[in-house]
Amino acid sequence: MVTTVELEALAKQYRRGLFEKFLAVRQGHPGSTFSMIEIVVALYHGGFVRFDSEQKTFRDRVLISKGHATVALYPILARFGVLPQSEWDAWGKSPSALRVFGNKSIPGIDVTSGSLGHGIGVGAGMAMAHKRSGSDKRVFVVISEGELYEGSTWEALLFAAHYALSNLTVVIDINSLIILGRTEDCLSLNPIQDKIAGLGLEIRQCDGHDFASLTSAFSSQTGGTRPLIVLANTVKGKGCSIMEHKAHWHYWNPMTVEQIEQCRRELA
Amino acid sequence: MLQRDAFIREIITAIEHGREVVFLSADFGAAALDDLRARFPKHFVHCGISEQAMIDVATGFALEGKQVFCYAMAPFLSLRALEQIKCGPGMMNLPVCMISVGVGLGYADAGPTHYATEDFACLRAVIGSSVYTASDSASATLIAQQLLNKPEFAYVRLDRDELAAISPAPTAAAINRGYRILGEQAPNKIALLSHGKMLHACLKVVDESPEEFFSIDLIRSKPFPEDLIPLLAQTRGVVVIDEQTPCGSLASAVFEATNPWDGFVRIVSLTLPEVYVFENGGREYLLNKLGLSADGIRQTAKRIG
Repeated sequence: MVTTVELEALAKQYRRGLFEKFLAVRQGHPGSTFSMIEIVVALYHGGFVRFDSEQKTFRDRVLISKGHATVALYPILARFGVLPQSEWDAWGKSPSALRVFGNKSIPGIDVTSGSLGHGIGVGAGMAMAHKRSGSDKRVFVVISEGELYEGSTWEALLFAAHYALSNLTVVIDINSLIILGRTEDCLSLNPIQDKIAGLGLEIRQCDGHDFASLTSAFSSQTGGTRPLIVLANTVKGKGCSIMEHKAHWHYWNPMTVEQIEQCRRELA
Repeated sequence: MLQRDAFIREIITAIEHGREVVFLSADFGAAALDDLRARFPKHFVHCGISEQAMIDVATGFALEGKQVFCYAMAPFLSLRALEQIKCGPGMMNLPVCMISVGVGLGYADAGPTHYATEDFACLRAVIGSSVYTASDSASATLIAQQLLNKPEFAYVRLDRDELAAISPAPTAAAINRGYRILGEQAPNKIALLSHGKMLHACLKVVDESPEEFFSIDLIRSKPFPEDLIPLLAQTRGVVVIDEQTPCGSLASAVFEATNPWDGFVRIVSLTLPEVYVFENGGREYLLNKLGLSADGIRQTAKRIG
């Protein structure tokens, strides 16, 4: 069992590695990626996504519906050996299979994503396929709160609730920011929990950067009969103070040498 | 038999033989579907009136190795779910087959919300798609058999109405080839190239003037049958008739396919006008009024000279 201290160390290591990659490729979505690092570390290293070390594949599915942040998985996949370390090392330096948006041709990436609002529907289809075939596989879908603006997200939630897809977990990364500013200022989504509550899903709130909180939230589905929705409260750009809570750090921005060094110090 | 029933009957047969087929509906029915739902509930999924979610769910099933059929009314399956179709089965090249019922003005007199007069252009534009159009229930049966035997990312266009059986009956080879010749082909004749309901108007013209015309039923318009291109060049000209609006209609497919060909092919197009039709009167009335009739085909053919 991986300890909380070890999970925290992994999160720090991944964030640091990803920062250097963003710096090298000079593009990407650091704000959205850093807000969900602990979420995916908890899923993969916390024992929720099961790994078959002989086959070097994961038994369970993880769909990053917020496809602009799929890069968060790359260092994890490389650590498990699913993604060749050479691909991760090469990214930003020489030809590599890796892209800012994930796609299915990348080892360990279960779905091609980028356009918002598709993940829950695709995950529901996968979950239903497994459920009907008697498989115990779980499907985890990570979406951004911004995807709650997409009608297809709600269509898919209705679907998942009706078919009682208890093997489906949807993690909503709530960092309260979209490209043009705060969701509350742009077009209010709150209260998110109340809006989802009427669908008949199991809902858990958690601190999206606290492993004890995340682990508890993900565990609660065990033995459940309904899909699980985890509302993970996060900070956009978490870990780099110049990015935290800043909408414009949705995208990569040019940085001064001083800013780069400051980020490196904070991520060390 | 309605084309939809003919198609679904083949899916039922496949399920009876143990095929791992999943059938999704966005609240659209058929007599044969009632049978499928009753006998094989584990192969059926009602997705609600949610075409977008239906395609995403289909993508999930297909990613887990299932062969999936999505079924809905043509205007909603095509345009409403177009981005899902692109991002799911399109970008990931998954064997999802979309069964689209009521192409053209099939749902007259429901009005333009229910007409699928742009679906051909939209679905043909999605990278990697195959596009089939059935002209009778026998074609629908054979298209279903082909797709069941060789799953692919396909958009199948079925008519709402029970169209008359075309003689001679289609063959599996014709479906595989993508087209069939109806009438006697000759270099001094004009080819009337169409699919679906409009093929029947073409056949009427051929019956009345067999010395001047023959017809081509383009069953699979994408990928375009390559061996049809030299055949088109060996005619006086080609009239392409489609119950679609002009932009991206069947004629566009023919123009694009023949463009790289060195031989000269005279092509003229007959389509619906680029308007949303609110007038009532029934499909035949509207088609006649808008020039998609045997008379309209004869008039258009005069442009070939």
